[in-house]
Amino acid sequence: MVRRVLALTSGRVAVAVLTVVALLAVLGPLLAPQDPLATSDHPLAGVSGAHWLGTDYLGRDVLSRLLDGSRVSVLGALEVALTALVVGVVPGILSVYLGRAFEWITLRLADTLVALPFLLFAVAVIALLGNGLTQAMLVTGVLVSPLFYRVSRAATLAVARSQYVEAALISGASVGWVVRRHVWSKVLPPIAVAFAQTIGTGFVIVSSLTFLGIGVQPPEPTWGGLLASDLGYLAHRPWAPLTPALLIMVTVWAGNLLADAIRDVSGEAGRALLKGRGARTGRTEPTEPAPAGGA
Amino acid sequence: MPGRLTPRRPGPQRRSGRLRATALGAALATVFVPALSACAGDAASAGGAATLKWTSTYFPAHWDPVVGGSGAQFRELSLVYASLTRTDATGKAVPDLAKSWEYNDKGDRITFHLRPGLKFSDGEPVNGAAVKAAVERAQKQKNSALFGDLTSIESVTAEGLDAIVHLNQVDYQIPQLLGQRVLQIASPKAAAAPEKLDQHPVGAGPFTVTQIVPGTKAVLRKNPDYWDAENIHIDNVELTSAPDAATVVSGLQTGVYNFADIDPSQADAAKKAGLDVFVQPGFNASNISLNVNKAPFDDDRVVDAVRHAVNRQEFVDKLTFGYGEATNQPFPKGYVAYDPQSEDAYPYDPAKSRKLLAEAGYRAGDIKLDLVIPQEDPQAEIVQSQLAKVGITVDIRIDKNWATPFFAKDLTFSLYSTTGRDSAVQTLTAHFGPDGPLNLSSPYEPEGFEAAVAKVRETPLDAPAYPEVLRAATRAGLQSRALVFTYSSPNLVAKSKSVSDLPKNPAHIDWTGVTIGGEGATP
Repeated sequence: MVRRVLALTSGRVAVAVLTVVALLAVLGPLLAPQDPLATSDHPLAGVSGAHWLGTDYLGRDVLSRLLDGSRVSVLGALEVALTALVVGVVPGILSVYLGRAFEWITLRLADTLVALPFLLFAVAVIALLGNGLTQAMLVTGVLVSPLFYRVSRAATLAVARSQYVEAALISGASVGWVVRRHVWSKVLPPIAVAFAQTIGTGFVIVSSLTFLGIGVQPPEPTWGGLLASDLGYLAHRPWAPLTPALLIMVTVWAGNLLADAIRDVSGEAGRALLKGRGARTGRTEPTEPAPAGGA
Repeated sequence: MPGRLTPRRPGPQRRSGRLRATALGAALATVFVPALSACAGDAASAGGAATLKWTSTYFPAHWDPVVGGSGAQFRELSLVYASLTRTDATGKAVPDLAKSWEYNDKGDRITFHLRPGLKFSDGEPVNGAAVKAAVERAQKQKNSALFGDLTSIESVTAEGLDAIVHLNQVDYQIPQLLGQRVLQIASPKAAAAPEKLDQHPVGAGPFTVTQIVPGTKAVLRKNPDYWDAENIHIDNVELTSAPDAATVVSGLQTGVYNFADIDPSQADAAKKAGLDVFVQPGFNASNISLNVNKAPFDDDRVVDAVRHAVNRQEFVDKLTFGYGEATNQPFPKGYVAYDPQSEDAYPYDPAKSRKLLAEAGYRAGDIKLDLVIPQEDPQAEIVQSQLAKVGITVDIRIDKNWATPFFAKDLTFSLYSTTGRDSAVQTLTAHFGPDGPLNLSSPYEPEGFEAAVAKVRETPLDAPAYPEVLRAATRAGLQSRALVFTYSSPNLVAKSKSVSDLPKNPAHIDWTGVTIGGEGATP
């Protein structure tokens, strides 16, 4: 699938942007030219050779704070997506096989979680458990998990009712074997779409919380926090909010673009699209079983 | 605990999350509103009525002065409520509802003589019984934030227009104490239902409330029965909760407001917009609170190290844009209680600070402290940065329930900002007294402080020796190891030129003689 995603321009752009963001998360603190927490006697300084993006209200280097703050933002978004993936997908698949009681309970749970506004709930959790992003993101991941539950359940239902799966079960195959052998590969594409989309959602949530000053302990920098503090000094540095705002926007956009790319190359429609492109370029797509849950 | 002193946080980060959420709107307003400003007229003068349109960061959450306490919101509540005394430009008590007062010879009883013919806006008479009810309510009401300020008062008896205050000690501070911060007097009839009073204030102040939208807006009109109504030239007041720092200046430009307390970061923009920007005097003072009952502050050398590590000017420069003032005392320079002799105690000297820590056996990084604060506050980041330079590691911890451990004296290290008291003694005891709510090290008090304060209480306010006796008490209090004062946050105000200058009263915002759009307005 990776090769098919990269065959699309939108896929390549999305992967490139997200790779850069991931590298910032890993290497950002090392790349920071100055100590992101070190104050100076030059607050709200403009762009200069010493401070490429100027300084903030305490004289700290903004570029260093942006680089250092990327890790929190990226890890928070990943935490949301991974939690939602784990909490949603497993019961989503199992709800098809573990009987009516399990199905009824998980469906009602999913309905309940969907009804909860995750941003407000995250704020409430922080108020209850203390000001930390980890717990807020874990809870947000649980609240986002119905998306994965429904996607994986829908895909599993489509496969579970196919004749070859019924034949396998009649022949004595275990549910676990069926899931591993037949279901998982069909469920994977729609889950990948949901995962990429959730990364974007996670970024929005992390940025929103940190913009409101929730979830991080000062002076730890975050993109949302930098945006918030810059907005307070518009009269002095009107251009300052642009950088953190652009970083957030581009990252969310890249997550959504990747989701679109995965969706486009999944299923029959995606295969047809790529076959057409391959024909034009003289290349042919290797034959693979058609994914069930895409398109 | 005595009155709640609302922490005043500087800089844009003091805005609540709700306010921050409007920041994007502010940005758009900054762009679009000036373009529309040419279309806006001076609504203040529309219809010939002088309307004050005041937007404030401290819109009252409670309109019952007993619940609101003596925090910054008392300034807005003083639109509605008058008190026995008020203060003049020097901070000295002068008549308000009481036309005069006198002590008995011993100094443990004071009789306030109320002005005749006054009534609250619900028609109830302003008399000794109303004063007695107000004091007793402040002492006994379950949710009173003021009872700790009134511990000198044994009882009050009423005789017609006289309110006789019986004290449990000689205390000549009472006229200072029973001013705007501690005894804004509500109608006893309305106060019989405190919950209702909290949203429908009834006082005898210069204005009466005609409409309140909780947390958002209050509309008031001039009270014709106010004792000094002839010197109140404002007909209506529209008080609103300031949406965000960045929107206030635009609102002032377009006439949405004509008076606003602004953040120092907005001062330049306000000046460029042609507004009057000025600092209203005040008693604001911020401090670093230490608990000397807990390690490492149980070692005097560590406390002294912190004292020498603090660069007060950095607070002034970065948080107040130069509009504030560095201070090592809970009083502004020039105020009668300010002690010039203590001015240079513990100057900024990081080398000495490191040396003291070394003498105490601490190497750089050995001391790790949690600085617990109620919300994001740039002050904390400056403290963290300054202490890091002498080898003390500080982690900032935001605790939304901060008030409980702070006032229970369970914290080791915190920050506090006060708006002060009309009575200097009350300010001193609140900070340095053994039971002072702002003394994180209770029951610790500096040696000689209690005697010095007792001497002030026993000295009449008009005695020639009073200023020196008071300064001596300040000096004794400043020996406290529990507090390191840092800076005084400015009461920065921007107003339309149509609003005339305000009296420079450090204790409260005084609307006496202020005109809008008429004579006295800045040309």
